[in-house]
Amino acid sequence: MNRSTRTCFILCFLIASSVTALRGEDRAANRELADRHFTIRILPLLKTKCFSCHGEAPKDVKGDFDIRSRDGILKGGESENAAIIPGKPAESPLFQAILWDGLEMPPKENDRLNKEQIGWIRQWIATGAPWPSEDVQRRIHQEYRSEAINEDGELVNTSGGVSDDWTFRRYQAADLWAYRPLKHVDPPMSFEPAGHAVDAFINRRLRTAKLKATSRADALTLIRRATFDLTGLPPTWGEVCAFEEETKRKPKTAYSKLIDRLLASDRYGEQMARHWLDVVRYADSAGFANDFSRPNAWRYRDYVIRSFNSDTPYTQFVKEQLAGDEIDAKNPENLIAVGYLRMGPWEHTGMSVAAVTRQQYLDDITNNVGETFLAHSLRCCKCHDHKFDPLPTRDYYRMQAVFATVQFADRNLKFLPKENTARMEEGSKRIARLIKDPGIKQHIPKGTSPEDAAKVHLGVNKVKRKQLQTYQRLANQFKPLALSVYNGPPTRYISNTLRHPFPGKRSGLPQEIFILTGGALASPTEKVTPGVLSALPAVLPKSGKNRVQLSTTKIPTSMNGRRTKLAEWITRPDNPLPARVIVNRVWQWHFGKGLAANANNFGKTGAKPTHPELLDWLASWFIDSGWSIKKLHRLIMTSDAYTRSGTHPNGSTIEKVDPDNALLARFLPRRLTAEELRDSMLMVSGELNVEMGGVPIRPVINREVAFQPRHVMGSVTPCYQPSRTPAERNRRTIYALKMRTLRNPMLEVFDLPGSDMSCERRDASVVTPQVFSLFNGEAPYDRSLAMAKRLSQQSDDINQQVALAFGWAFGRKPTDAERKLTLQHLAKMSAFHAKHPPKKTELPGSVIRTMVEEMTGVTFHWEEQLDIYQKYVADVKPWDLDPSTRALADLCLALMNSNEFVYVY
Amino acid sequence: MALHRREFFHGLGAVLGTAAFNAMLQAEEAGPLASKQPHFPAAKAKACIMLTMAGGPSHIDTFDPKPKLAELHEKEFQRKDKFVSSMASGKRYFVRSPFKFQQAGDSGAWMCEHFKHLAGVADDLCIYRGLRAESINHPTALYHINTGNRFGGDPALGAWTTYGLGSLNQDLPGYIVLPEISYPQGGAANWSNGFLPANFQGTPLRAKGSPILDLTPPKGVTREHQRSNLDFLSGLNKLHKDRHPKHRELAARMESYELAFRMQAQVPELIDLRQEDQKTLDMYGVGGKHTGSFARSCLLARRLVERGVRFVQAYTAGWDSHDYLERSHRNRIQAVDQPIAALIKDLKQRGLLDQTLVIWSGEFGRSPDNGIRGGGVRYGRDHNAEAMPFWMAGGGVNAGHTIGATDDIGQKAVEVAHPIRDLHVTLLRLLGLDDNKLTYFHGGRFKQLSQTGGEVIEELIA
Repeated sequence: MNRSTRTCFILCFLIASSVTALRGEDRAANRELADRHFTIRILPLLKTKCFSCHGEAPKDVKGDFDIRSRDGILKGGESENAAIIPGKPAESPLFQAILWDGLEMPPKENDRLNKEQIGWIRQWIATGAPWPSEDVQRRIHQEYRSEAINEDGELVNTSGGVSDDWTFRRYQAADLWAYRPLKHVDPPMSFEPAGHAVDAFINRRLRTAKLKATSRADALTLIRRATFDLTGLPPTWGEVCAFEEETKRKPKTAYSKLIDRLLASDRYGEQMARHWLDVVRYADSAGFANDFSRPNAWRYRDYVIRSFNSDTPYTQFVKEQLAGDEIDAKNPENLIAVGYLRMGPWEHTGMSVAAVTRQQYLDDITNNVGETFLAHSLRCCKCHDHKFDPLPTRDYYRMQAVFATVQFADRNLKFLPKENTARMEEGSKRIARLIKDPGIKQHIPKGTSPEDAAKVHLGVNKVKRKQLQTYQRLANQFKPLALSVYNGPPTRYISNTLRHPFPGKRSGLPQEIFILTGGALASPTEKVTPGVLSALPAVLPKSGKNRVQLSTTKIPTSMNGRRTKLAEWITRPDNPLPARVIVNRVWQWHFGKGLAANANNFGKTGAKPTHPELLDWLASWFIDSGWSIKKLHRLIMTSDAYTRSGTHPNGSTIEKVDPDNALLARFLPRRLTAEELRDSMLMVSGELNVEMGGVPIRPVINREVAFQPRHVMGSVTPCYQPSRTPAERNRRTIYALKMRTLRNPMLEVFDLPGSDMSCERRDASVVTPQVFSLFNGEAPYDRSLAMAKRLSQQSDDINQQVALAFGWAFGRKPTDAERKLTLQHLAKMSAFHAKHPPKKTELPGSVIRTMVEEMTGVTFHWEEQLDIYQKYVADVKPWDLDPSTRALADLCLALMNSNEFVYVY
Repeated sequence: MALHRREFFHGLGAVLGTAAFNAMLQAEEAGPLASKQPHFPAAKAKACIMLTMAGGPSHIDTFDPKPKLAELHEKEFQRKDKFVSSMASGKRYFVRSPFKFQQAGDSGAWMCEHFKHLAGVADDLCIYRGLRAESINHPTALYHINTGNRFGGDPALGAWTTYGLGSLNQDLPGYIVLPEISYPQGGAANWSNGFLPANFQGTPLRAKGSPILDLTPPKGVTREHQRSNLDFLSGLNKLHKDRHPKHRELAARMESYELAFRMQAQVPELIDLRQEDQKTLDMYGVGGKHTGSFARSCLLARRLVERGVRFVQAYTAGWDSHDYLERSHRNRIQAVDQPIAALIKDLKQRGLLDQTLVIWSGEFGRSPDNGIRGGGVRYGRDHNAEAMPFWMAGGGVNAGHTIGATDDIGQKAVEVAHPIRDLHVTLLRLLGLDDNKLTYFHGGRFKQLSQTGGEVIEELIA
C-alpha cells in the first residue's frame, strides 16, 4: 500500500478506538480490525523476531519468558512482571524493550524493529493486545489472501514459495514495473514539434521540471561522440573535416549519413560485442585454480561480432546462444553460439566432487541467463524464495532444470570461410615445437649445496609437466573445434581434461533437478520439472484472481527441446522483460546509463526507470522494427537528447536540480573505457591493424607481470610473451587474449571488469595507478614513439607536425595558446634529447624463474626459454629516432595522457 | 568517478537526510581515502596486518596438537560426508603429527616445536581453534577468507576497512598487499575492490622489480625529463579545463598526475630497508636464507603501518603439504617464525602493537588422515574446511588465551565453532567497524560488505 493510504488507515483506526462510547456494531468492527492487525502484522513479527529465543526451544527459553501466547506474555519472565499492560504501551516492558530502552530486544543490531514495526506493536498494545483464536486467525488469513489488492499491496501469482507467508506476500505496484506488460502509449507529440518520438517523452519531463535543454553540440563533438559510441575508436582528422564541411551545408543529412557510415563499419560489431561480452563474462580461460585455457572460445567472440555487424534480429541472437544446437545443429554458427552456455568460470580438479562441480555450473548458468536476458539476478533464489522479488526458489530450480540436459563438448566444426584462420599454421607449428621441448632447464644458483641441488629436481619436472599441459591445451586452438554443448544424460567429469568429447551415445535419462534447501546439495527436497519465471507478466487484475499468464509456455521434460522452449518464451513479444532489457542496454551504451540504471536488475532493488513510458514505447518500437538493434541505434542517435551539447547555459542551476542528468537536459561526458583507450592510441599512432577475428592476439603488457609466476595447481604457467610482430599484436583489444587470472594491468587500472561476474556497466574511476600505466608504461611510450615517427614522415615542418598531432589526437587544430606552449616544449625537449642519446636495451631470450616447491617447502629456480622474444620484431623504439622526433614523442605522450584524449563529450 | 560518485551521493541523500549527506559530501571533498571516525570509537586497533599463509597450513601440526592421532597412526579412517572432497575417497589412514609440541608463555599456549621465536611472544597471541571454512579448493577458499565470497569479484577485507576508516596517509594507498614473487592462487581478485570504487583496491608492493607497476618511466627518462612532460601536460589540461569548467573530474585527474609524481619519490624510500638499523634487520631475519623473504614483508608491514597505511596484507605460500608434511611444514614454519615474532616484538617496543591488529591465517586447515603414499614415507595431509589454524595479536584481542577446540582427531571445530563470516564481523569490530553499518550502495541496494553479516565472536575480544 502506498504510504498515504496506510497512514490514513491507521489514523482512522486510532481515532475510532479513542472514541469511548461506541455502539455495538462499531465495537465489533474495531474488534475485527484489531484481530486482523494482530493476525497479519503482529503474530508474524513476533514469530520472526522473538519466538526462536522465547519459546521455540523448550529447553532453553531465554529469561524464562515464553512469548508464544497471550498468557505467556501476561505472565512475563524471570522478573514475574507482565510483559504487556494491555492498553498502555508506554508502561509495557515489552514495548520498552523493543525501543532498546533498558532491555534491548531483539538483541542484535541488524535484527532491531524498524519504526513502522514499533508502531504496530504500540497500536496492538493500545488496543488491548488482543490474541484471537486460531480459528479466527485462519479465517482472517483466508479473507486477507483472497484480496488481490489491499492496503498492503498486491498479490502476485507464482509457482509458489516454500511457505504460504511468502506465496501470499504482497508487492508494491511500483516495484512490479518490469513484470507488467509493455504499455502501449502514444508519444506526447505536442511536446516535440520536430516529430521525434524519443524527444517527445523527454521534453515532456523537462517542461514539467521547467528545465531548458542545451543546444545541439558542434560538429566535432558530434562526430567524436557518435564514432566512439558506435565503433570504440576516434574519427580520423579527415573524417572530422569532411563532416564539419558537410554539416555547414546540410546539417541533417550530414549527421544521418554519418550514422549510416558508422553502422555499416565492421568496427561497429567489435564495439557492440565488447558490451555484450561484459554481460556474458567472456574469457579465453576457465578460471579458478588452474585457469586452463579455453582455446576455442574466440569463435564465440567472433560469432558475437558477426551477429552485431549483420544486425541479426535480437530474438534470433538470443535463441542461437541459448539453444542453437537444438534448433539446427547443421548450422555451424549455432554450435558456436551456444558457447555462451560455457562462458562462466568452471573447473573440476582432482579434489572436486563431481556433483558439486555440476551444481556450480547449473547455478552459474541459471544466474547468468537471468541477468543477461531478463535483468534479474537469480542467485538469491538458490537458497530461499527471493527476499524482494516475486521469484520463488522453485522457479530458480525450474529454470535450472532447463539446463539439466546440457553437457559440455568441444565439437568438431570446420572453420567457416568467414572465420579468420590466418597464421594458424605458424601458430600450430610453434605449439608443436614447444610440446616437443618446452624450453625448461633446471637452474642452480651459485653456492647451492649438492643436497639442495638434488631437491629442486622435483619442482622443475613439475613445471615442465604443467607447461606441457598448457601447450597441449593450446594446440586445440588451431584445430577445428567449437566450445559447445549437446543434450545428454549426466557425464563423468574428468579433472584436467584436455577436451570434452562429443560422445556417440547420448541417450539416457536427463539429470533430475530438485529444490535444494539452503542451496545445499545434501538437502534435496521436491523434484521439479523445467519451467520459466512464473510471475510474468504481472497484470493488474480487474477483479479477483484472474490474471493473464505467460505460463502457457510449457517446457518439455524430454532430453531435447528444453532450451528451445525457454528461448521462445524469452523472446515472445508478450514477455515484458527481454525487449525492455536490451533496449535499456542500448540506451546505456549511448547515454552512459540506462533509463533504468541497473541494466542487470529490474527487480525491486534495481533503480526504477526515469522515463518508464519512453522505455516501454522504445521496447514496443523495437519489437515492431523486427528486433533490429541497428535501427534502434539510429532512432536513439537521431534524437535531440543524444545530440545535445554538454555545456548548459544555467550550469549551476542544473547541477543542483538534476545532478544525475536524469532528465537529459544535457549530455554528460564519459571517460574512454580501457579498450577504447588502447585502441585509440594505436589508431592515432597509425599502428592499428584492423584485421578481424581469429585466435587471440597477445599485446605487449607490463613485462614484470608477463614474467611473474602465475600459480596453477602445484606449479606455474609459462611466461606471457607478446605476439611476434607489430601487425599481429597491434590489433583491437577485443581480440586480445583474456585470461581470467592474467590481466593486462594497463586495462585493469582503467576498470576492465573481471570475467567472473556479469558486468552491467563499466566504472570510470580516477586513480593514481592509471598515471603510472599511461604515463610511464612501455605501451604508451611505444605508441607515442610510433606517432612521432609518423609525424616526422608526413612533414619536416614543425608547425605542420604540431597541427597534425593535434588533428590526429583531438580532431582539431591547436589554438594559438596551445601552439605556443607546444613549440616551447618541443624546443626544450629537442635540446634535452640531443644531450641524452638513448641506450639500446635488448629483450631477454630466456628468464630465470623462481618458486617454492610445496612438497618440500624449498625454493627452486629454472631457466625458461622465451622463443618469441628470440625472433621478436619490436615496435618503434627511441634509439630508432633522432632527437627532434623523440621530442615529438614527448608531445604525443602528453596528448595521449591529456584529458581531451580520454574524455568524450 | 565523479559521475558515479555523484549518483551515489544523490541516492544516499534521500535515504540519509541532509546532515549525514553533507557530512559525506565533505568527506568527498577531502578525498575518498580521508580518515573517518570508526563506528565504535573505543576500539583500539587502528590498523591491520594480515599474514596470509597460502596453501592451507595444518592446524594439527601448528597450534592444535592431537595426541590421539599418535594412537590412531596408520589405522584406517572412514569419512561419511560425500560432498566434502573427492580426496576423501579411497582407503585413508590417520596420520600423526611429525612434530613435538611445546607449551609457551605464561598462558601455556600449545605450539609446534619449530615455533622457536613465536614462543617468546606467546602471551601476545589469541589462538583460535574454532574457525571453519567452507571451500576445499585453494582459490575459492582464499577468496572466501579475503572477501567473504567464495567466487571472487567482491571487495576484500582490506577494501572494507579502508572504505570504513579511510587512511591516515593521503600520499599512499590505504590498502597495501605484499605478495611473494608469484601471486597466490586466484591472483589479484584476492585484494579486489569489487563493487567499491577503485580507490579501495589493494595495491601490491611487488616483491621483486618495480614495487608498483610502472612506478618509474622507461629507462633513460630522467626525473627532469618527466617533470617537463608533466608541466607541459598540465598546461594542456589547464587550457582544456577552461573550456569545460563544469566538468569536475578533470581537476581530480590532473591532481592524480601530481600525486603519482610524489609517490615516485616516496615509495622507493619506503621500501628501502637500509634505513633500518642492523639490530632490527637481524631481529627479523632480513637476508637470512630461509627467513629473508618473509622478513622483508614483515618489516615492510611495520614501516607501512607506521606511515599511516590502514591495512597491510602479506602473503607467503607453500603450505599445501599433501606429501612430506614433516619436511615442508618445518621449512615453512622456519621461514615465517622469526619474522613474525620480530614483527610483534617490534610493534610492541614502538608502542604500535596496541593500535595494530595482527592476523595469522591460511585459507583452510588440513585433514587428520591421508592415503598412505610412497609406502608410508610421504606422510601428508589433504584439505580440510571444517577446522583451520588461526591467531591474532594486538589491539583489543583477548591475548594470552586459546579459544575454542576441535574434536579429538582435529577433523572438525566443535567448541566456539564459527564460520568465517563471524570472524570477519569480529575483525571489523576490533577495528571499530559495525558490519551492519558498513554498506555501500551498489546495483540498486545497500550491499553489506561482510556479505550477509554475522555474529561477533566475543571470546576473541579482550
